Amino acid sequence: MGFEINTVLRGRVWKFGDSVETDAINPYYRYPTMDELKLHTMEAYRPEFASEVRPGDILVAGRNFGCGSSRPGLVLREVGIAAIVVESVARLFLRNSVDRAIPIFLAPGVTSIVEDGETLVIDYPAARVTNATSGASVALRKFPPLIEQIYRVGGLPEFARERYLREQQARTEPPVRT
Amino acid sequence: MGLTMAEKLFSAHNLSGDEVRAGDVLEARIDGAMVHYHAAEPMHEMAAQAGFPDGMPRVWDPERVYVLLDHHQPTLSQKQADENALIRKEVERLGIRCFHDSEPGIAHQMMADYGLMRPGELVVGNDSHTVSYGALNVGGTGITRADMFYALLFGELWFQVPASVRVVLNGQPRNYPIAKDIILYLAGRYGDDFAGSMAIEYTGSFASQVSIDSRMCLSAHGVEVGAKLAFFACDDATREFLAPRTDKSYTPVAADADAHYEREISVDVDELPFVVARPHQFGNVCDVDEVVGQRINQAQIGSCANGRFEDIEIAARMLKGRKVAKGVRFLVSPASQAVYLRCVKEGLIETLLEAGVQVITPGCGICQPRVGFLSDREVCITSTTRNFKGRKGSMNADIYLAGPLTVAAAAVAGEIADPRKVFDGI
Repeated sequence: MGFEINTVLRGRVWKFGDSVETDAINPYYRYPTMDELKLHTMEAYRPEFASEVRPGDILVAGRNFGCGSSRPGLVLREVGIAAIVVESVARLFLRNSVDRAIPIFLAPGVTSIVEDGETLVIDYPAARVTNATSGASVALRKFPPLIEQIYRVGGLPEFARERYLREQQARTEPPVRT
Repeated sequence: MGLTMAEKLFSAHNLSGDEVRAGDVLEARIDGAMVHYHAAEPMHEMAAQAGFPDGMPRVWDPERVYVLLDHHQPTLSQKQADENALIRKEVERLGIRCFHDSEPGIAHQMMADYGLMRPGELVVGNDSHTVSYGALNVGGTGITRADMFYALLFGELWFQVPASVRVVLNGQPRNYPIAKDIILYLAGRYGDDFAGSMAIEYTGSFASQVSIDSRMCLSAHGVEVGAKLAFFACDDATREFLAPRTDKSYTPVAADADAHYEREISVDVDELPFVVARPHQFGNVCDVDEVVGQRINQAQIGSCANGRFEDIEIAARMLKGRKVAKGVRFLVSPASQAVYLRCVKEGLIETLLEAGVQVITPGCGICQPRVGFLSDREVCITSTTRNFKGRKGSMNADIYLAGPLTVAAAAVAGEIADPRKVFDGI
């Protein structure tokens, strides 16, 4: 399902520190199925997270979020996280999130304007994230058009299919004579 | 202004043919794709998500796709066996030629052993340690499962050209490997993301003299400091390594003298102390002196970072005539069958067995909770890649990362120790 990246999001914040690793986000070594992962994601840092997270919540974290392996953060979407906002992100976690159309935003300084449990507003078109209570805000980084397009079509597999079908069609249709 | 290695790599692979600079987004042509156990279920999942219920409709070039079942060989569960059976069918259906399905080992080491990558190539892999190929001047980089689906279909993928950090390592190689100490030192001193989304270029007098094994350690650990690419220059050592392994020609990437670097870091390797990373992060680094006396239950040498010949050789050299401390489990896992065979031929395995080491089948298991689990309150010192909480089983176990010499010293002493105080001739 596509995500319109210009949608303004608003949600309760779960705040984490620096260098949160994929082993904590997606501890599949111990819990190989999604049903199990949903009960244990992030327990290395916040044992109450899985049971208390609500649909629409926003995950805020420090620098180097999602470091470690190439595992994706699908489980965070499965438990209801609507968006991830971080100081910086490990490149594979960023690619994974874009590729699966999981909203993730880079907003240097975000951890200094919002605390756990407060409400954050993510306004991609205006390129700002704002603490709904205090009004404090920081800039978020816009993505290149290609990434925005991948979000809109629902992820890279969908993007691949569109291209594949387009190319197949071009092959079967006779060339247009002018 | 000149170009960095990364800018050269992506300019040479840019579909549009244009020269690209740090920050540019491009669609790049891929020279090779390494797929491990993701080849069946995850690729099917991606295909299904994209609307191909029968699986991937094709791979772009069956000659350039390398499937190596490293994480699942030998199989340790029924599930793995069933997945491998699926992968065999997929490989046959898609006509993939290069398939290592009955040989244990770490895919990255086997890619090197079998000469499946060459300097200047852009090679993707769905494993974060694919960045290790930079040791051979290859543009190796980890990608996601969805990326791999796209890359396998089209032989192309989008990238953002990374800025570059130049890591100048000056000094003399020692008579034991210190690559792990160097990268741990860098992560401790400059942060575990000092090369975040960037390309590292390792250079300097140490870098040009050090072994290919050590280069692979430094490049593999590029990902532990956030790097997209982690290059060494192509030199005589690179060409000598590749000569018996590939007959394909290649065009190395070299940086221009006036290339722009986001950052330059210099290290006097001769002054470097032995260091360890304490639990539970790679960048939580201190001098070994600060944790001397910490009792251990398990010691490990292995992985795509430190499971190579020189890592096992130093352990065998130090353990000759000695015994692993009572109560300590010392696990050694060669990175591949080729590495294992060389260790056997040179008598290292006999020495290790006599000292009381458990030699484990090559593969990724030693770096994960698959082989050699830890129990609550147990402590492990390991030369593998990661020390995250739960990485070896119990969430209440402690994992220290160190170079193979420091690991061997701890295994003999039964506690973390300065290798110079345990062994002579260091």
